[in-house]
Amino acid sequence: MPANLDAPLVAREALPGPYALLTFAHAAVAREARAGQFVMIKAHTAPEPFLRRPFSIMAVDPGRGTFTLFLKGVGPGSRALIDMRVGETAGCLGPLGKPFEAPPPGAEALLVAGGYGVAPFYMFGEELRAQRRPFHLFYGGRTAPDLPLEEILIEGGYPLALSTDDGSRGTPGRVTVPLEAYLGAEGRQAVLYACGPDAMLHAVARVAQARGLAAQVSLDPWMGCGVGTCLGCVVKIQRPSDARPKWRPACTEGPVFDARDVVWS
Amino acid sequence: MSGRLAVELAGLRLKNPLLAASGTFGYGVEYERLMDLSTLGGIVSKGLYLEPRDGCDVPRIVETPSGLLNAIGLQGVGVRAYVRDVLPRLERHDTAVVVNVCGDTVEEYAEVTRILEDAPRVDAIEINISCPNVKKGGMAFGGDPKMTHEVVAAVRRVTRRPVVPKLSPNVADIALFARVCEEAGASAVSCVNTLLGMVVDVEQRRPRLAFGTGGLSGPAIRPIAVRMAWQAARAVSVPVIGIGGIMCAEDALEFLIVGCRAVQVGTANFVDPGVYERINAGLLSYLDRHGLAGIGDVVGTLAYPGETK
Repeated sequence: MPANLDAPLVAREALPGPYALLTFAHAAVAREARAGQFVMIKAHTAPEPFLRRPFSIMAVDPGRGTFTLFLKGVGPGSRALIDMRVGETAGCLGPLGKPFEAPPPGAEALLVAGGYGVAPFYMFGEELRAQRRPFHLFYGGRTAPDLPLEEILIEGGYPLALSTDDGSRGTPGRVTVPLEAYLGAEGRQAVLYACGPDAMLHAVARVAQARGLAAQVSLDPWMGCGVGTCLGCVVKIQRPSDARPKWRPACTEGPVFDARDVVWS
Repeated sequence: MSGRLAVELAGLRLKNPLLAASGTFGYGVEYERLMDLSTLGGIVSKGLYLEPRDGCDVPRIVETPSGLLNAIGLQGVGVRAYVRDVLPRLERHDTAVVVNVCGDTVEEYAEVTRILEDAPRVDAIEINISCPNVKKGGMAFGGDPKMTHEVVAAVRRVTRRPVVPKLSPNVADIALFARVCEEAGASAVSCVNTLLGMVVDVEQRRPRLAFGTGGLSGPAIRPIAVRMAWQAARAVSVPVIGIGGIMCAEDALEFLIVGCRAVQVGTANFVDPGVYERINAGLLSYLDRHGLAGIGDVVGTLAYPGETK
């Protein structure tokens, strides 16, 4: 069950550029979280911005009772978290939302990450490895500095394909370029998983659709509460059982959705 | 929870003066896994119409300095699904249940209330005549004294339960609307709903919310809400429930001191679902510090400049 706790920052690792890894003590998240789930979190040290922010969980350590976030300091909420010092606390509710579901036996998991959307795939890779499921991680960014987790993923032995829009690292072009090359012309048995900007998610959904593959996408709309009550984060979803599209809260019915059900805007 | 925080409100006994405000706590059951609902004096449901509603297009929320601007548009399951699916689940929680009733027409308000009249577990009816994010009903009724009277009287006629209109702050004279509600048979008034606001995306040169305007909540509106609750409390003899940006015990005390019998906590639910326990603890420690027996001793104790109490 999710728990609402004051979570102390226990470790902080600055990465090149605006990125950092933050590790918080939070027993419920550490024990129960699955890849794709998120926390609502806000540094107590900064009264503004007003709301907590949703962040995907990158890793958990049930033994130590901690979890780790991979953050990019893009706005006041993420920067306030990155500026925390070890020992300071953040208000933190989690784990929340629906996780990624492992592929059926015989199918390979292809994880497609855009920029800091790579965060949940670190954890998903660990889960898949524990279940002895084959997977491959496609990690794309605009430029080489937008791939700050490269080293950590290589050290961790993740099967990795890098790409950048400007060609400064890995395959030149969008992350779907190495993905399509990997899929090849043959009908490969695979499930696609995507986390990143909306346009990238949509592109991955089209790749899946064209090849008749299943895809799970992690949507990232603005969230107010994280528990399904404010209805601020709704996304348009039409499941096979729905007569017409419905606004569904991404926080409780997602953030991971079957790509076929998403009504792309 | 100590009886020192108990309040009497329009015939209801609340174990403490904190209610979860409509639209910020779902139907209550969403929070049952996250917190002990019995720490609340009461839960006010999200607004309910006769039929399910889709709500507004997205974006629906935008953060502002110390606040939140929203145009959700009362997306909801409709009153029948609420009675069938939600109310039975609230049976096991020791807290008051207030149902927020909406309508496009006066008749719809009355019909929704009538359906609730046969349902057990409902303790009071809050009338939503102040939502700024719908084209019909809502603020259109709450901004017109004649319509306000008509809606409140129509709901009053079909229920034995306490009837609590929720007032709009988007009027020149809130005291007038409080008096109109009292005359129409209101048992109490909730004061206030969100302030009409707008945030503009300067790059696109369009409103950030898909609906255009929205309702502003959070600490940003608190001084306005306290002033309006104070004006309403002076204008009527029925109890006033203060609402607007309450985040901590001191904020709740401001409303109580200006004359509110109870308060609703809204946007703070989004920031920290643990807010109720903190506020209750803060209220008790305030009573101790000031040597007061119960929270009722705080209500209406404002020493306003130039006035004798």
